[in-house]
Amino acid sequence: MARMKFLCDAERCIECNGCVTACKNENEVPWGVNRRRVVTINDGVIGAEKSISVACMHCSDAPCMAVCPVDCFYKTADGVVLHDKDLCIGCGYCFYACPFGAPQFPQAGAFGLRGKMDKCTFCAGGPEEDKSEAEFKKYGRNRLAEGKLPACAEMCSTKALLGGDGDVIADIYRERVARRGSKGAEAWGWGSAYGQPPKGAAPAAPAGGKS
Amino acid sequence: MHTLSRMTGWLVLTFAFALPVGAQQTPAQKDLAKDQQQRTVNQPGNNSEVWRDVRSGQPNNTTVPGRETGVLVQAQARFPGQENMTTAGEAWRKFRNGPVTFYGGWLVILMCAIIGAIYYTRGPIKLHDKPTGRVIDRFSLAERWAHWVMGISFCVLSVSGLIILFGKHVLLPVLGYTLFAWLTALGKNLHNFVAPLFIVSLLVFIVMYLKDNLPEKGDATWLANGWKFFYGVHLSSGRFNAGEKVWFWVGVVVLCLIVSVSGLILLFPNFDQLRSTMQQASVVHAIAAILVIGFAIGHIYMGTIGVEGAYGNMRDGVTDETWAKEHHDMWYDDVKSGGAGVTTAAKSGAAPQTLH
Amino acid sequence: MIRCSLLAASVLCIGGCMEVEQVSNAQKQAGQTVRRDTNPWSNEPLANGPKWSKGDRTSWEEQIKKRQLAQHEHRRIYE
Repeated sequence: MARMKFLCDAERCIECNGCVTACKNENEVPWGVNRRRVVTINDGVIGAEKSISVACMHCSDAPCMAVCPVDCFYKTADGVVLHDKDLCIGCGYCFYACPFGAPQFPQAGAFGLRGKMDKCTFCAGGPEEDKSEAEFKKYGRNRLAEGKLPACAEMCSTKALLGGDGDVIADIYRERVARRGSKGAEAWGWGSAYGQPPKGAAPAAPAGGKS
Repeated sequence: MHTLSRMTGWLVLTFAFALPVGAQQTPAQKDLAKDQQQRTVNQPGNNSEVWRDVRSGQPNNTTVPGRETGVLVQAQARFPGQENMTTAGEAWRKFRNGPVTFYGGWLVILMCAIIGAIYYTRGPIKLHDKPTGRVIDRFSLAERWAHWVMGISFCVLSVSGLIILFGKHVLLPVLGYTLFAWLTALGKNLHNFVAPLFIVSLLVFIVMYLKDNLPEKGDATWLANGWKFFYGVHLSSGRFNAGEKVWFWVGVVVLCLIVSVSGLILLFPNFDQLRSTMQQASVVHAIAAILVIGFAIGHIYMGTIGVEGAYGNMRDGVTDETWAKEHHDMWYDDVKSGGAGVTTAAKSGAAPQTLH
Repeated sequence: MIRCSLLAASVLCIGGCMEVEQVSNAQKQAGQTVRRDTNPWSNEPLANGPKWSKGDRTSWEEQIKKRQLAQHEHRRIYE
C-alpha cells in the first residue's frame, strides 16, 4: 500500500520557487494564499546556505486533525491528509497546531476574520466528486485521480523535492546519499511528520535529524 | 505584538499555570552560520548547524509574505505536566486535547451534579415569613441592564465556547457532520461578535457593582458559616453577602477579565501575534472560561430556582421587605434608616407595586 | 429517573472526550459520515494520460511508483 510523502533534499534545493509557482498555477490558489513556500537558511552565507521547500507534510498523526473542533479533516487510503471546506469554520486551530505552518486562511472579513482554511492537498483534491469543477474551485486540481503526482515535485528542476510513495522516495534518497558519499544528509521533517520509521526502512537519518 | 505577548505572559503568570516552557535560547544565528561554514569545510555534507537553526524556530528568509512564513518548523515547547519538549503546536494540541478537555469536562459535569444534588435534597430556599406586599428598590434600571446584557452575552459565549471544546465529542455523534459544522460556525460567529458586547458590559458592571462588593465586617463569619444557608439559616449581610462577593471578585472581576484579555488576543489575529502567543492565550482562555462557567452554573441556580424571589429582584429591580429582611438584613436596616452606603434610594413611600 | 439517566449519559459523553486514532478514510467512512471522497484509482484514466485499470488499486499504485522514478536523476529515461 502506497503512503504518500514529501521530501526536500536540502543539498539540491536552489530556492528557485518553481514549486511555489507550480502549485499556485496548478491549483489556482486564491490571492494571498501560498500552499507551498521555500525557506532559505543562512541566506547569502557562502558554504552555509541551504533551502527547503515546505508545505503540508501529510503527517501520520496529524495535529491539525486532532484539534479541529468540527473534525473536518480526513485521511485518504494513501495517507494524504485532506479537509472538507464545507465543514471548516475558520477557527485557526489547525494553524496553531501545525508544526510546518501549512494551513492558510484567506481573510474573510474585517479584523482578520478567517475564511475557510486552505492547504496543500498533495494534488488530491477534496471530498467533492473527483475532477469536478466544484472540487477544482475549492481544492485545486486532483492529479492523483489522473494517475499523476503533485505538480511541485514533478516540476522540480533539480529534483530536490520528491513526492509520492514513501518507500520509493526513501529508496531514491538513500541511493542519492550513498552516491554523494556524504554523511549527515537528512530527510528533513520526516521525524515530525511521520514519526520514527521502522529500522532499516529509513533513508540515511543521522542523530542530528530529529526535526 | 510584543505588548500582546507580554500581556499573555503576565496573565499566565498570574494564573500560575499554563505557561509552556520555551526552548532553550539558541546561540545567535550568525554563529550558527559561521559554524556551518566551518563544518562545510571540515565535514562536507554535514548540515547539523543548519538543522539546529531550523529547530530553534527562528525565522529565516523566504519570498512568501505572511506571518511566520520564514519559520520552517515551530520552536520546541512544553506545557505544564508534559515530560518532553515537542514542537509548540504539538505540545499545545496535547495540552488542549488532554488535561483541558478532560478535567474541564469533568468540572462542568461535577458542578451540574452538585447543583442537582442540592436542589433535590435541600430544595429551593423559601421565605420564612409571608411577603408584606411593600417593596423597596434593590437594583436600578442601569444596574439591571448591565447585569442582563452581561449575563445573556455570557450565556451565548459559554454555550458556543463549550461547543468548540466539547461539541466534537458530545454533539457531533448525535447531530452528524453537516448540522454540527453549521451549528459550530454559527456559534463561532456569535462568539466573535458577542464578545465585544460582553467585554463592554463587563467593565460597566464592575464599575457599577464595585462599591457594594467591597469587603465588610461580617464577611468572614458569613464565609465560615455560609453552607448553613441551604438549611434555612440566614446570616446577616449587607447588600451583597460574602458568597456573592466571592463570585463578584473571583468570578466576574478576575476570571472574566482574564477571559476577556486572552479572548481579545484570539479575536484579532491581524495584529501579527505569533502562533505561540495564540496557543498560550487559547489555553488560558479555555481554563479561565471553564472555571467561570462552573461559578456561573451555581450563580444561575441561586438566581433562578435556588432562592425564592431572587430572579424577580433582578427582573423588576424591587424586592419585598420580607425578602430584604431575611436575606440582607444589614442592607434592609440601612435602607430603612436611609443610612449611608446605600446606592439605591429607598422609596418605601412610593406607590405600592405588586410583586410578580 | 430521567434526570439520573441524563446525568449518566453526559458522564459517558465526557468519558468519550479523547482523541480517536487517525485511521484512513476507507476505515472511517462506513456509510454514515459526509466523508464521501472517492479513491483516486476509482477514476477513469485520462485518454492521453497515465494508464491503469479503473478500480484496481494495485495497478494505479504500480504506475504511480513507476512515474515516481522520473524524480530520480539516475534513471532519467522515463520508463
